[in-house]
Amino acid sequence: MGVSLLELTGLTRRFGSVVALDGLSFSVPAGEVVGFLGPNGAGKTTTMRAIFDLVDLDSGTVAWDGHPITAADRRRFGYMPEERGLYPSMLVGEQLEYLGKLHGMGAASAAAAAAQWLERLGVGERATSRVDALSHGNQQRVQLAAALVHSPEVLVLDEPLAGLDPTAIDAIGQVLVDQAAAGCCVLLSSHQLDLVEDLCEAVTIIDHGRLVASGRVDDLAASGRRRLVVRVEGDRTAAWASGRPGVSVSEVSGGAARLVLDDGVDSQDLLRAAMAAGSVTEFAFGRRRLSEVFREALA
Amino acid sequence: MTHALVLLGVVALAALRIWFRRRSRGARGRGAPWRRSGSSGQSGARFRPAGPRDVFERAIGDVGLVAAREIRERTRGRTFRFGTVLILAAVAAAIVIPVVRSTKPGAERIGVVGTLPASLRSAVVAAGASVHTRVTLAPEPDLTAAKRDLRAGAIALVIVDARTIVTAKAVTSSDTSAGAALERTIANAVSLHLAFEAAGITAAQAAALARSTPARVTSLAPAPTHSAARPTSLYGLILLFILLQQYGTWTLMGVLEEKASRVVEVLLATVRPVQLLAGKVLGIGIVALAQAGLVVAFALVLAKAVGSDLLTGAAPVELLSELLWLLLGYAFYCWVYAATGSMAERQDQLQSLTFPLSIPIILGYVTALVAASSGNASTFFKVLAYLPPTAPFAMPVLVGLGGVTWWEFVASVLLSVAATVAMARLAAGVYRRAILRTGRRVALREVFSKART
Repeated sequence: MGVSLLELTGLTRRFGSVVALDGLSFSVPAGEVVGFLGPNGAGKTTTMRAIFDLVDLDSGTVAWDGHPITAADRRRFGYMPEERGLYPSMLVGEQLEYLGKLHGMGAASAAAAAAQWLERLGVGERATSRVDALSHGNQQRVQLAAALVHSPEVLVLDEPLAGLDPTAIDAIGQVLVDQAAAGCCVLLSSHQLDLVEDLCEAVTIIDHGRLVASGRVDDLAASGRRRLVVRVEGDRTAAWASGRPGVSVSEVSGGAARLVLDDGVDSQDLLRAAMAAGSVTEFAFGRRRLSEVFREALA
Repeated sequence: MTHALVLLGVVALAALRIWFRRRSRGARGRGAPWRRSGSSGQSGARFRPAGPRDVFERAIGDVGLVAAREIRERTRGRTFRFGTVLILAAVAAAIVIPVVRSTKPGAERIGVVGTLPASLRSAVVAAGASVHTRVTLAPEPDLTAAKRDLRAGAIALVIVDARTIVTAKAVTSSDTSAGAALERTIANAVSLHLAFEAAGITAAQAAALARSTPARVTSLAPAPTHSAARPTSLYGLILLFILLQQYGTWTLMGVLEEKASRVVEVLLATVRPVQLLAGKVLGIGIVALAQAGLVVAFALVLAKAVGSDLLTGAAPVELLSELLWLLLGYAFYCWVYAATGSMAERQDQLQSLTFPLSIPIILGYVTALVAASSGNASTFFKVLAYLPPTAPFAMPVLVGLGGVTWWEFVASVLLSVAATVAMARLAAGVYRRAILRTGRRVALREVFSKART
């Protein structure tokens, strides 16, 4: 049999008149970091909670490794909820040891794993501090260590990178990539699309509780209409391109316009028009960015 | 004096213990530095054979793990240790002080002007002993010198020529102080002596008369045989009231802490809600029982040591039944408090949430206080002794008053256990629904309407 798979099928959840999940289905294969994207209120947190049986689904199933998920399976999962939570007055190390034991580890191995993860995440010297004495960033690192302490087979992380400095993001990103390489199934939600693009092999995008796009980042980037990056000196708003049939300006950054071309548009015509507008210093085809994938999927 | 020393010793011992505990927390190993028995920690997540502690914790699974954490964190707090010492000190005071006050062998000097016949001399000393006062006789040269000593307070009273008595201050008939009692008995002894003299009886006859004791009185109504247990009843009740509320609040705060800090979502990803709830209730229950057991054992030992009358009659039985009912009361109320905690959002809602819960507790407490101090139980009170919310207060008092048979007691216990099981199921349903709802206080209606589906 192939790699293990976390499969979500037909998840539906209504809160009164609000539909949080509307028949959502997707899967997360082991060995990959999968980005879980969607605007605020799309149902990401509800989905992640559903994996841990923390919401009562109206319908739908969660399966792991080909069978409906059990409490014993979840014991081998790691979870970092959107709202961070640790006992404020407990010592960091003791807390992780306790969580390790709740996940089925012996006391000694839980303690060793806790120490090891704290070290790896750069908060080794804070093991004997109370949690509430830690800075926000360090609490976040401890929270990630809490999800990792029992070497889980599946990691479900709700916004693990929010509010971190670039060094912390690099460190945590590397940990997640390493975990996936070691065969772990990693699902992470984020609004930082550039980071997700760097970190994730695949993404799943949802809106209003429904799947709107999903696939490998490379495939999504290569698909869709052509992108053309054009820089015309002196024209920072890409005024020359607006209004041309079959051409739309996706974004302008640093004076370079990203144009989305319909199928029939001739790029040579565009080059001539650009040269007529001013001196062209950049003219190149590009791949679809994840932020464009996201925006176009929601459009 | 010795009692004060015993008390001081107990307090000092407790303080020392706390100090040692805190010091040993400072000693930390390498690798997993928060562990006292510092494991080496360089090996990563290598699974090792489970130690004895693991075996214990595994034996009752996740509930045991949760309970063990609860016990550890609960007993670690300075407030807990200080509170325990405070309770013990209060109990010690309640036991020792009345003993010290009542058995203090008062010593008084009594001035004698003129001669005092040997028979009257021994009668006066015996009269003093009958009111717990050791009397020494001090010969005075004349009445003037005696009055001077009397004013100076050197002597309690003066017997003049074995006929009259002079005191410094007039004593009213309603005065029940030791001094007044002494004065009355001595006046009595002197007048008896005069009467014997007038009747012309011999010294031997007078001695025989002086040895007379009051006749035995039999009443048609049965005597209140348990009156000696009343102080125990009252102290026990007060303690029961304080501890029950304290343990209930611990449960509520414990649940609320997990909800407010959001750690509960991390926990519930691996542990079922009912396990988390049961572990918390069990952990706090064990700490509560240990603390209450310590207090009761301490009270029994101390009362025995100083010879307090707290142990006479039905008192020990009542004390033990109070301990049992504290346990039963906690078992019943902890679920209510836990469910309430899961519905709260912030600590400032605590007051309004706990108030309705304390109404049955206060009702039980107050009616029990009235019954215990008046010594008789109304029918209403007897009914309360069978209702699980009020039984923890009413039943032990009823035991103290001798108003229950063993099967009535057992019936009340069984009722309480059954109600506790029902309450636990209800609370688990509410807890499961409410614990992950954040943002605002959860309305009761929502929880119950969902709990049925």
